[in-house]
Amino acid sequence: MKNLYLPITVDHIARVEGKGGVEIVVGDEGVKEVKLNIIEGPRFFEAITIGKKLDEALAVYPRICSFCSAAHKLTAVEAAEKAVGFTPREEIQALRDVLYIGDMIESHALHLYLLVLPDYLGYSNPLKMVDEYKKEIGIALDLKNLGSWMMDELGSRAIHQENAVLGGFGKLPDKSVLETMKAKLKEALPKTEYTFELFAKLEQYGEVEGPITHLAVKPRGDVYGIYGDYLKASDDVEFPSEDYREHIREFVVEHSFAKHSHYHGKPFMVGAISRLVNNADTLYGRAKELYESHKDLLRPTNPFANNLAQALELVYFTERAIDLIDEALAKWPIRPRDEVEIRDGFGVSTTEAPRGILVYALKVENGRVSYADIITPTAFNLAMMERHVRMMAEKHYSDDPERLKYLTEMVVRAYDPCISCSVHVARL
Amino acid sequence: MEGNGKVRIGFYALTSCYGCQLQLAMMDELLQLLPNAEIVCWFMVERESFEDKPVDIAFIEGSVSTEEEIELVKKIRENAKVVIAVGSCAVHGGVQSWEKDKPLEELWKTVYGDGKVKFEPKMAEPVENYINVDYRIYGCPPEKRDFLYAIGTFLAGSWPEDIDYPVCVECRLKGYPCVLIEKGEPCLGPITRAGCDARCPGFGIACIGCRGAIGYDVAWFDSLARTFREKGLTKEEIIERMKIFNAHNPKLEEMVNKIFEGVKE
Repeated sequence: MKNLYLPITVDHIARVEGKGGVEIVVGDEGVKEVKLNIIEGPRFFEAITIGKKLDEALAVYPRICSFCSAAHKLTAVEAAEKAVGFTPREEIQALRDVLYIGDMIESHALHLYLLVLPDYLGYSNPLKMVDEYKKEIGIALDLKNLGSWMMDELGSRAIHQENAVLGGFGKLPDKSVLETMKAKLKEALPKTEYTFELFAKLEQYGEVEGPITHLAVKPRGDVYGIYGDYLKASDDVEFPSEDYREHIREFVVEHSFAKHSHYHGKPFMVGAISRLVNNADTLYGRAKELYESHKDLLRPTNPFANNLAQALELVYFTERAIDLIDEALAKWPIRPRDEVEIRDGFGVSTTEAPRGILVYALKVENGRVSYADIITPTAFNLAMMERHVRMMAEKHYSDDPERLKYLTEMVVRAYDPCISCSVHVARL
Repeated sequence: MEGNGKVRIGFYALTSCYGCQLQLAMMDELLQLLPNAEIVCWFMVERESFEDKPVDIAFIEGSVSTEEEIELVKKIRENAKVVIAVGSCAVHGGVQSWEKDKPLEELWKTVYGDGKVKFEPKMAEPVENYINVDYRIYGCPPEKRDFLYAIGTFLAGSWPEDIDYPVCVECRLKGYPCVLIEKGEPCLGPITRAGCDARCPGFGIACIGCRGAIGYDVAWFDSLARTFREKGLTKEEIIERMKIFNAHNPKLEEMVNKIFEGVKE
């Protein structure tokens, strides 16, 4: 051995949700090994909810992840409703979409401003940016507060919403609250556009440029959105949600409590950029214009484009929520909840969580959960994320280790991984 | 405190959904705290975080769920003047303890099959099973005011107090319709620690006990037990529901038994 190489490691990647690390082993011929260690402990969500009463299991599932608890709650509720054979009324679905969008706005704002932006501006933490970047921090807080407040009003709180239940909502806000929500969303629109312009200026690192297969939910009703009953890949394959196991294979890797996933034998990506790659033709309004004028930056070949794609979605979903609230208001007064008869059955729901496709498959027998399979966006992304970290490492392994760590962490942060989320992936 | 007069704070995560730290990070009030505090460790927001530096206040979120996390909590205890267990996972083991009486191997097999990883998993446990905890912030997630009260009190050089009354008290004060009596739903408000302003009953949703059980020597249990029974709820159903957030509470079954024994026919 000519040289002695020590592994380059980040024990605990900062500014992501959950505990993960990066390990890079360099040898004489360059990078030998790159591992994304997922060290967050297992929580066995599928296993612990089997045999439990349906409503209690539905209260527990959102606890998989705080950043996207509304996504988990609403996807689990839909899977349960499909299992028992219940379809919510249109106006209830519209309000569920608004609640989900609250999660989307909060999550994207937190990710972009608090987790990603400090890297570009040279800060180790977002709180240190307060003096120098008053406007940006102000916008971050405004958008975050808007998303949280939407979840407070429709979901009971911003983290672990209890107000979304089988058949609808426990209670709905007054009409005046929805009108205020509309006004606040309108007020937020210029701030979302500012966010888009800000992120359009940031560097996208060419080191990780290359072909990526993207998967996303095909939006229901052909309007860019969150719910759908089919999955769509950028290789033009489309399949019903229930068939997900025929196309996506999960497997255990030894360095991670979260499993990895392959689509037709290969790593793939999900998330905001994947949604745009597959569904941009269903955008409308200002977001559509911005997409058309910035296509060159919203590239399907670079994971860093995911940041800008999230910024675009901030514009889109803010506008979309206004339209959905109008739909609901047109039917006012709305009965919050329908009785749901708990029959035996099996249901699969696929939605777009802030970070990409979220799958819930639930079987209900005698009012209890008898089978549960949950796959989260980060679990889908891990194999691809590891590949992109490797690409970055291969270009920079001989640089200063601190620089290498910083760049690989930035790759991981561009994915906006929900590591806690990824650690209770399903049965084999 | 170090020479700069700032309180050194660490926020440490074990296995969790990160919701307790998210709740704190989302508080605009945090910005007001900053001039008085130095963040020594908080990986969710600070890249320059150090798990083994001394701190004045250590907040720990999450349950101890790997062998590595046992070592981590011991290290945090050694380095901290005050240790605060934050949220249902750190205080009670969290929802991931719901099936704590099942063998870990069985849960592992259900989720991972024959797959093996190089880290050592274990059944989730509260932080207190390994180290001495000075104060607890309850909830899944805790309310913002829980953080404000605890931090504010410590910064003022005083000691925060535990709440020793149930969610029912706050629900009555708010004047919400009773989910248990009027709708017959299995509301755990009567035996759950207050502090949330009866958030869920306010939405017409039965309490699932996310703040954990209050102490069990309280007078209203007799009438409560009667109501649970009248509504057709069994002792087993109550225990199963209480266990969602309370599986490691050593007094849980004793408390529920006492409630049901207390019924005077």
